[in-house]
Amino acid sequence: MAKKPTVQPALHKVIMVGSGGVGKSALTLQFMYDEFVEDYEPTKADSYRKKILLDGEDVQIDILDTAGQEDYAAIRDNYFRSGEGFLCIFSITEDESFQATQEFREQILRVKNDENIPFLLVGNKSDLDERRKVPLQEATDRAKQWGVQYVETSAKTREHVDKVFYDLMREIRARKMEENKTNNGRGKDKNKKKKRCCCSRWLGCS
Amino acid sequence: MAPPPIVTGLSPKEGPPGTRLKIRGEHFGSKPSDLIGLTICGTDCLLSAEWKTSTKIEAISGPIKGTGEVIVTTRLGGVGTCNVTFRGYFLSSIGPLKESAVWVEEVSSWSRHSLSPSSFQHEDPLGLSIEENENKISEEDLQSNYPGKCGDIGSTNFSPGWFLLENHQATSFHDLDAGLVHLQRKVQGQKEGKLSFLKANMNSIMDQIDTLSNLREKYEKDLSEFGSEPTLKLEKTIKESEREARKLFDDVLARKDRAEKTRNALSVLSRFKFLFCLPCVIERHIKKAEYDIVINDYIRVKNLFHKTDVPIFREALKEIDKRIVNLQKKLHADLQTMPITVDQQKRLIRYLVNLEAPYDSAWDAIKSRSEYIHTKFRLIYDYYKSMERPESGKKVVTALKQSKLNDSQVDENVPPSCVSFTKEICATLSEIFPDLWKIGQAYFSGELQVKVGAGRQVEYKHMVLDVIESFCRYARATTVPHTLEKHHRPPSPSLAPPSRDDLAFYLPDLLRSVRSTYATLIKLDLPNEALDIVSHLLLDLRTNCMSILFQQTAEQIKQLNENWRISFAGKYTGISELPLKFLQLVEDVLQIVKESALSVELRESSLLDSPQAKKELEKQVDNILTGFYDVLDKLSSGEGFDDGDDNVPVVSQLIGSPMSTYKFVPSGQTCPSWEHRLLITLSNCLFARNTVMDAVASKFKETGFPSVESSIKSAKAKLRNLEKSILDKYLEQKSDPLVGTIEPSMYLGRFDWDVSTPPTDIRPYVKECINNLINVHAEVTNISSSLLDLVLPRIVETIAEELYRLMSCVQKFSKEGAQQARADVEALQEFFEDYSSENARAYFKEALEAVEGVQGSDRTMVDDILSRCRVRMRIQMLCLKKVDENS
Ligand SMILES: Nc1nc2c(ncn2[C@@H]2O[C@H](COP(=O)(O)OP(=O)(O)OP(=O)(O)O)[C@@H](O)[C@H]2O)c(=O)[nH]1
Ligand SMILES: [Mg+2]
Repeated sequence: MAKKPTVQPALHKVIMVGSGGVGKSALTLQFMYDEFVEDYEPTKADSYRKKILLDGEDVQIDILDTAGQEDYAAIRDNYFRSGEGFLCIFSITEDESFQATQEFREQILRVKNDENIPFLLVGNKSDLDERRKVPLQEATDRAKQWGVQYVETSAKTREHVDKVFYDLMREIRARKMEENKTNNGRGKDKNKKKKRCCCSRWLGCS
Repeated sequence: MAPPPIVTGLSPKEGPPGTRLKIRGEHFGSKPSDLIGLTICGTDCLLSAEWKTSTKIEAISGPIKGTGEVIVTTRLGGVGTCNVTFRGYFLSSIGPLKESAVWVEEVSSWSRHSLSPSSFQHEDPLGLSIEENENKISEEDLQSNYPGKCGDIGSTNFSPGWFLLENHQATSFHDLDAGLVHLQRKVQGQKEGKLSFLKANMNSIMDQIDTLSNLREKYEKDLSEFGSEPTLKLEKTIKESEREARKLFDDVLARKDRAEKTRNALSVLSRFKFLFCLPCVIERHIKKAEYDIVINDYIRVKNLFHKTDVPIFREALKEIDKRIVNLQKKLHADLQTMPITVDQQKRLIRYLVNLEAPYDSAWDAIKSRSEYIHTKFRLIYDYYKSMERPESGKKVVTALKQSKLNDSQVDENVPPSCVSFTKEICATLSEIFPDLWKIGQAYFSGELQVKVGAGRQVEYKHMVLDVIESFCRYARATTVPHTLEKHHRPPSPSLAPPSRDDLAFYLPDLLRSVRSTYATLIKLDLPNEALDIVSHLLLDLRTNCMSILFQQTAEQIKQLNENWRISFAGKYTGISELPLKFLQLVEDVLQIVKESALSVELRESSLLDSPQAKKELEKQVDNILTGFYDVLDKLSSGEGFDDGDDNVPVVSQLIGSPMSTYKFVPSGQTCPSWEHRLLITLSNCLFARNTVMDAVASKFKETGFPSVESSIKSAKAKLRNLEKSILDKYLEQKSDPLVGTIEPSMYLGRFDWDVSTPPTDIRPYVKECINNLINVHAEVTNISSSLLDLVLPRIVETIAEELYRLMSCVQKFSKEGAQQARADVEALQEFFEDYSSENARAYFKEALEAVEGVQGSDRTMVDDILSRCRVRMRIQMLCLKKVDENS
């Protein structure tokens, strides 16, 4: 059962936010398992993680699918803290859900205290275009105002589902590389420490 | 061996004991029995696990506190791995009255009461606090260092090293030492404890022994009293009381059951609310015309419930189906209600297809469109038919009222109904046919996503051809009725065909309409078979247009009026406006024909490639030329002009002054004398033959018609004949009276050639003859001097002939008489020299020969007379001299 410490692939933590019923879980399950769930079951907090190939590099994506229902609003702060990137979802067939993205954005900025946190605005249910309530222009305008990308997806047809996850992960990766550069000194220190730790096993640690 | 299972998703990722978990991942086996193990945070949960698919398992979390993995074990894959973690925590308490954000299963697979909280509260055996001792060493690392051991104090594999590393990593040595002392003390205490305990409690132990023996006594007494089974009665009593107790609670339990049932029913209702509300929802959406939503809902409900056996569901489905059938009917009806755009139709077809309507909707749409076109034609036709009756009545009245007023103006305002009709069906076809074609294309290209029925291609082709043929029939009936075969005539009574003038006026316009429709059809890329129908119509229409225009022109030519005014100003002199008007008419009509019928537009052949059109053209050209000839002929025949005073006696004394014969009518219309009219017409003929005909020929060529040379040639020949006959008429009119006066004049006053008085001058008849000729000369010159050479020599010839006749009839000349005669004849001979033909000269000579010879002094006398005469009549002489143009 002995297990050698292996180099773990980079882990990117993605958080799905958005009002209830907009399709966060549907998008996640479509991305993870290629399945579309017709029935609506409100989520509390779901966790998913798998290995994928991002531009030829092995990475792990960790998806935290949060609750859209207001009942769970209180626990959001806690979850948001651990996120490295956010997919902010609304349904193009429901204006309320689009208006709610404003609150989510504010909450995320407040918790993360970072204007440039990797973030995508996602209009879901694009297959129901004939029932569209949120004009494309309005959504693009908002995204521009926030300085983020806007993508329309359909969890049902899988349109742009991979795109939003991959684009977000690229942003996260770029962000981390940037951080590494600025935190160069400290980063090195940490590495050294870790190395030492490994060489002398846990015995040397205190 | 199958790959080991791996867990990649948990929903939810945390919860209190009893949380229903969805576990997702891969390789969970292919059937429920493949699942042989499931632990959540180390707790075995296989009992509550429910295998769903190879990627999904549902389970209920056990009494877990803390974070851990979810490990699935399968029969073939073995123990699996986990990417995610589950965190268990305790809620303070979840009672029936407490609100909870998660479902806590009421029937728990574990009993909370069986739990002793202490078993979870670690009490450190060393008596030390483990507060800040978080475990920094993973279980794996410990495992690898202490194989087969564990840190559980109660376990037989207990390893102190493990325990210390796990719990006391951060504890200082000193503390550990103290802990050891504590442990030792505790062990010591346990060992020594029992004996000292007995000693300290001797009294109470004795009491206990007494009590026990008392109890035994009592029991034995009871045994003798109540038999061998003393507990039997007790048991009975207990059972009794239990029954009683149950009775007490039955009521409550029944209520609980009912509540349960109600709740179940409610949950069913809410779960299937969608189904039960759907009929209303569908109705609402139908009202709002949001068919997409209806279709979506319907498909969903079909997917969910179409196999259901539950009666109430079937009932609900029936309701829904009823509405859907109604909707289908409505959509189907809408689909066929014209007018409607192609896009609307396409949408409706899509709806109907999605609703699995039992109609061949796409085909019905096509059919209804084609019927629509036919109906529309019929409607337009009926409308104009109804307009026609009162209008034609009115037209008669107006025609009577303003018989001579400008008719075309009236017509311009109100075109005849068949013209409007034709224009309208052209416009209608251009407007609504493309839709029929488009929807047909969409149908056959599969864009409508319906199956194309067998034979539909052919049927559709017939449909299209039928529409176009019907259009052409209507168009033909009003514009080129003669090209319609009898049985093709539209249902009677047909619209009255317009008069030829109307037709000529409107045909180019109609031609344009039909052409624009044709262009529309060409743009649609119709098959040639369909286009050819229209192109035949067009060819006929163009031929007819050309023919009608020419006919009209021929008619106009026939109506041409001569105003007898001679233009001296223009390039041509001695002609009236008539030939120029004729030329103008021809040029005009050629221009119109060129612009309308002759022009070749998209997908049209040249009009004159058609032998029929060519023949028609030749006929019409002949017609026009003949028309003009007839006009000239009529003018020269004098018909219509013999109203009284115009026919003044012509010769004045014998021949009046030409000027006086003009009659000036106040309206400015001048009507000259018959002779003048003859001369003008003659001059016009000449001009027409020499100039106009060539101009016409070259105009035709210029316009692009094939050579009309033969027609022109025959027209010229006819004109030449006409000229001859006019000339004859004129000469008859002029020279007869002129020549006729010579004889009476000669013998005026009983004159006899056998006189004795010597001559002193030429005789008055000679002068009169000269003057008369000068008169004719003046008259001709008045029209055109070019006619002089035609007219005068012929007159001179007759004069000479008459002179010869008279001279040869004289019985006897005296000497004086001979002198006189010689002087007379020679004078005439000299005066008329310039206009004498060979014949005339011969006649003069013979006349002189008939007179007896005059010699010597007699001759001198004659010469004297002549030379005197030359002086006196110098002016007359000059009149009859030909002017050399060059001098
Ligand atoms: N047609 C269509 N339906 C979708 C799409 N995405 C989600 N849905 C449906 O929308 C409903 C809600 O989807 P969920 O993914 O459960 O919504 P959620 O955002 O996770 O909601 P919470 O968990 O309450 O926050 C489900 O019935 C889905 O089937 C989509 O792209 N197209
Ligand atoms: Mg969800």
